Amino acid sequence: MKTASAAAPEFLRRLVRLLRWRLWIAEKLHPTEWQTTLLWAGLAGFLGALVSLLFSGLAEGIHEFLTGSSAGVVESMRQLPWWACIAVPATGGLLAGLVLQFGKKLTRSQSSTDYMEAIVIGTGHLPVRASLVKSTAALFSIGSGGSIGREGPMVQLAAMVASYLGRLQQFTPPQLRLLVACGAAAGIASAYNAPIAGSFFVAEIILGTIAMESLGPLAVSAVVAALTVRALTNAAQLYHVPAFRLNSPWEMGPYIVLGLTTGVVAPWFLRSLRAAERAFVATRLPLVVRLVIGGALVGVLAIRVPEVCGNGYSVVVDILNGNLSNLVFGLGLPSHHLAWVALALVFVCKWIATAASFGSGAPGGVFTPSLFMGASVGYLFGTAVNAVWPAGAPDPGAFALVGMGAFLSAASRAPVMAVIMLFEMTLSYDIVLPLLLCSVLAYYTAKGIEEQSLYSESLQRKSAEQPAAALPARRVAELMKADPPVLPVAARFAEIAERFLAVRVNNLYVVDEAGRFLGVVSLHDIKPYLGEPEVAELVLARDILHEDFPRLSPDQSLSEALGGFLGIAAERLPVVEPGGRLIGSLAKGDLLLTLVEKRKTPVPGGTAA
Amino acid sequence: MTPPPALLAQPDAVVLDLPVTSGEAAIRALHAKLAALPAVTDAELLLRDLMERAAMSSVCISPEVALPHARTAAVSRLVLAVGRAAPAVPFDAGHPAVRLVILIGTPKKQVTEYLQLVAGTVRLLKNEKVRAALLAAPTEAEFRAVLARGLAG
Repeated sequence: MKTASAAAPEFLRRLVRLLRWRLWIAEKLHPTEWQTTLLWAGLAGFLGALVSLLFSGLAEGIHEFLTGSSAGVVESMRQLPWWACIAVPATGGLLAGLVLQFGKKLTRSQSSTDYMEAIVIGTGHLPVRASLVKSTAALFSIGSGGSIGREGPMVQLAAMVASYLGRLQQFTPPQLRLLVACGAAAGIASAYNAPIAGSFFVAEIILGTIAMESLGPLAVSAVVAALTVRALTNAAQLYHVPAFRLNSPWEMGPYIVLGLTTGVVAPWFLRSLRAAERAFVATRLPLVVRLVIGGALVGVLAIRVPEVCGNGYSVVVDILNGNLSNLVFGLGLPSHHLAWVALALVFVCKWIATAASFGSGAPGGVFTPSLFMGASVGYLFGTAVNAVWPAGAPDPGAFALVGMGAFLSAASRAPVMAVIMLFEMTLSYDIVLPLLLCSVLAYYTAKGIEEQSLYSESLQRKSAEQPAAALPARRVAELMKADPPVLPVAARFAEIAERFLAVRVNNLYVVDEAGRFLGVVSLHDIKPYLGEPEVAELVLARDILHEDFPRLSPDQSLSEALGGFLGIAAERLPVVEPGGRLIGSLAKGDLLLTLVEKRKTPVPGGTAA
Repeated sequence: MTPPPALLAQPDAVVLDLPVTSGEAAIRALHAKLAALPAVTDAELLLRDLMERAAMSSVCISPEVALPHARTAAVSRLVLAVGRAAPAVPFDAGHPAVRLVILIGTPKKQVTEYLQLVAGTVRLLKNEKVRAALLAAPTEAEFRAVLARGLAG
């Protein structure tokens, strides 16, 4: 008979002490895989907020460097001589183009940088170098006054950081996709100081579900991001607006017409962006040249109408507050009564400028420009109604606010998110009835005109190019994680304790020399005896083996696999080949996430942030 | 059901003078006492499992106490036999003079019960006075009484 190994008692005592600590923490906190996911979501939110703030600060720095002014985008462009108005955005286009051109060499073998693609049809992998190249290019486009939103790259960067974090932790594809989605929610929450809308944006537009399995982590990430931004900056609600009231039910009549109108305009706005993109591509000019032309076009418009520069935020603030004197004064119009003429002019020029920027390939988003379009349509419509029926639209500013939500709803095809976002951005609840109605009407009207939104078309095209990638896993083999931690059947207590300390599992799989699955050793079985070294020295893995532990087959369907988890408090089950060899393990969290993914619509409508 | 540690007070078999000269022989002798129990459904398998386990790693918990044990499909309930060797027998190189041998057979599914019984046995036999009383007990009845008192007290 063999002799007991002369294991150093001190080493065993330390191991046991560590394991008892681990158990104490586990028992006090009871962290399930879902709770752990929430912790990672929170970290993704924090890091997402930091990179968003960094991007925002850098974009402002570049703008200051190029224009020599620290005033807002519109004001600094207004102060420039005519030639500089053209030169600054054109230079930004040139720099962005050069970055993209030279960046190609660095990122040749890397996959798509698009976070929506990574979540919907990918594995959640967002390449770091390619994302940084694209974001750097976006810094120049945006910093030089391009008519494009900075929020898109902020969301992209936050998603990239989340993806990197998940890869460091070796997350499975469903977990990684969810973490990238959390990063995106954090980016939106940081950009708009709107955590609820950030969560719903990703849930409604990208994931296509508001199941708690995904909405919970999204909310945690978005809240942490918003808190981080609020702690590090003086962020409050994005748009300060006066109190709007619905004075009479009769006002709903014009609001209904506004909902229908924005529902018509939004698809045409998106179509015009696609058309501009096609027109630029048709020139067959190099990307650098296209970006210079796009920037120059914006610059030409900015000579007379500097409001076309940037994402349109400052103009929206003026519109919502009925403060259009800047527009009137800037355009040299003789009377304040012509404010609507000034806004109409800015509206048309901004539309053209956004199409020029977007069409030329400038990296950035059209989310905030969409808000501008909606505010303008709403204000102009409200002014027109007010002119013929003052009681029907006593305050055109209220129509601007409702128009923003309706336009966003029609463009993003996410009416719930649009309503929540408008509410969060303005903290104005009084107007919620017409806002809700208009958003829904705009959504259905836009859907009747154009089934596809800008982004969903691109996603469907890419799904068709790689159909296998677009399908969620169907069998256990596709979802399982290979090479789970295992123990030999003769493992002594010290080895068992060491493995439990190294990996966060409650059951360790025991295999024989041929790798065949024999059963599991449960952490809860050994827990009461951690303070008894004699027991610890006596016990081997085979002595405390649960041989009847449920196991899955690699060919089982996911629904069948779910049945395996019934009646057992295990977070993972072993996956065993028909011959008995252990080949992997399946996490219940991954399984539920994938089943939720399978329930969603194939590619939801949406627009790039 | 009797709590597993309490089973130690009512062993299925007690042998006060094991007529053996080795650990293996001690296991065989105690196994022979259990083989006829209705709870032992496959005596041969039980012995094989006990020997296999003892070959894998030492079953001694102190210089003079051995705890040969096996989780096996050969028993339908926990079975327990206690033996006293005089003179002492060598179990393995590290334990040349074992006096008390507690043999345990556990049904495969009873992991918790097995651990409870082993831990209870270890706790009881750590007590020097209990060990001395067991080694000095003149009769089986006294031996059982010492076990019962030790567990109670």
